[in-house]
Amino acid sequence: MPGDLISTYLGELSCRLPADITEEIADGLVEACEQHRARGLSEDDAARAAIAEFGDPRQLAAEFTRHAAGRRTARIMLASGPAVGACWGAALIASRAWTWPVPAGAKIAFGCLLLLVIGALASAAGSQRSYRLTRLAVPGGIGLIMLDLTMITTALLAAPAVTRVLAIAISASLTRVGLGARFVPRVIAR
Amino acid sequence: MKREAQVLKGHLDTLLLATLAAGPRHGYAVKEALRQASGTRFDLPTGTIYPALRRLESAGLVDGSWSVVGGRRRRTYALTGAGRRRLSGDRTAWRDFASTVTSILDAVPCRAT
Repeated sequence: MPGDLISTYLGELSCRLPADITEEIADGLVEACEQHRARGLSEDDAARAAIAEFGDPRQLAAEFTRHAAGRRTARIMLASGPAVGACWGAALIASRAWTWPVPAGAKIAFGCLLLLVIGALASAAGSQRSYRLTRLAVPGGIGLIMLDLTMITTALLAAPAVTRVLAIAISASLTRVGLGARFVPRVIAR
Repeated sequence: MKREAQVLKGHLDTLLLATLAAGPRHGYAVKEALRQASGTRFDLPTGTIYPALRRLESAGLVDGSWSVVGGRRRRTYALTGAGRRRLSGDRTAWRDFASTVTSILDAVPCRAT
């Protein structure tokens, strides 16, 4: 049955891809079937030809994953890590951050959250086959924005003076917040 | 043909944008437009066209929207302003490149060995 062939194919896709992508492919498959029917193929052969055109569902899902907006966003956010981190490292040393009145618990919580955020972004950026993993760019990106804003607020409240090094670190963080605000909504819209 | 497929892959984005220049199309219509415009020479695998359209969308070059056709939902893509600018830049770059390569190939005498 041609309908069965196509629904089996779509079933395999829907395990791997979001519903809206599966729906788009479903429309494409019906369109392809109609084209092949118009060229004289039987209903069964038309369904087979349409499926062959779209290719193996695992490969198609992997191709969508490779092009996923989440993967690109996570890469951009991760790439900012070393530069922004170095700016903050220099700023914290220069303004003797260890003398700031910040509770140890808060520092530990910040560190743990930072590790979680890096983990989420790295999983999204490196995902080869799982489209779902690329969605981790959303919590990862939002988490990184929150951490940047926390750093900026803490520095402004706790640092005795805003030195030039600190101002550079704050602008680096603000730039990244801007990047996140631009790219994360594109992943959410998917 | 394999080499041609490789070269084609490098120009996939431009070709996809070009098929949308005349107006919005859905994924399968993009593939068919490309096949027909090339005199059936470029029959790209459908499985590469749909993901590439999504990538162009997240890059802000095309804009996807849903409609209902024949009782099923259909996603149609249209060029954005940025997409139009990219296409016109790509078009100029390609013409320059192609005319340079052609003038070199035509200048060198063709000698059968």
